[in-house]
Amino acid sequence: MAKPVVRKPKKKANPLKAAKVENIDYKDTALLRKFISDRGKIRARRVTGVSVQEQRLIATAVKNAREMALLPYSSSAR
Amino acid sequence: MRQYELMVILDPETEERTVGTTMDRFLAVITKDGGTVDNVDIWGRRRLAYDIKKKSEGIYTVVNFTAEPATAQELDRQLNLNESIMRTKLLRPGA
Repeated sequence: MAKPVVRKPKKKANPLKAAKVENIDYKDTALLRKFISDRGKIRARRVTGVSVQEQRLIATAVKNAREMALLPYSSSAR
Repeated sequence: MRQYELMVILDPETEERTVGTTMDRFLAVITKDGGTVDNVDIWGRRRLAYDIKKKSEGIYTVVNFTAEPATAQELDRQLNLNESIMRTKLLRPGA
């Protein structure tokens, strides 16, 4: 029987720790822009490398920022 | 009493100099009901990420205040009735 290939996912450095961010604020668009794609979509956790709890805070912050027109809902880059 | 954070987007056609007095008029309801206005931060004119009411700019203001929940709701209601206010957001920071 062939041995199943177990791939160890590479642990990403937490970008929030690197930037020394304690609370995630929807007004901090410069920070939130790191967590959205160039089309304006929220990046997945496996891409961003933050914890589950932090990802949730980021998602709500992005959504609040979108409501206040600080971030785009979608930007048609193409 | 609770702490609140309020963000307001004003119509870009209003004079930027009068924003302070306009906001003070709205915030009078807080002090009247025994709350306190802790900080008013006028960001000024800023480009919107998308058009609101066919306008591509807005005057942003962030207000931190402490008030009873009913007072905060009343302030938000009054803001939404005004034509020159394009959007509001009332949040409790850390909740």
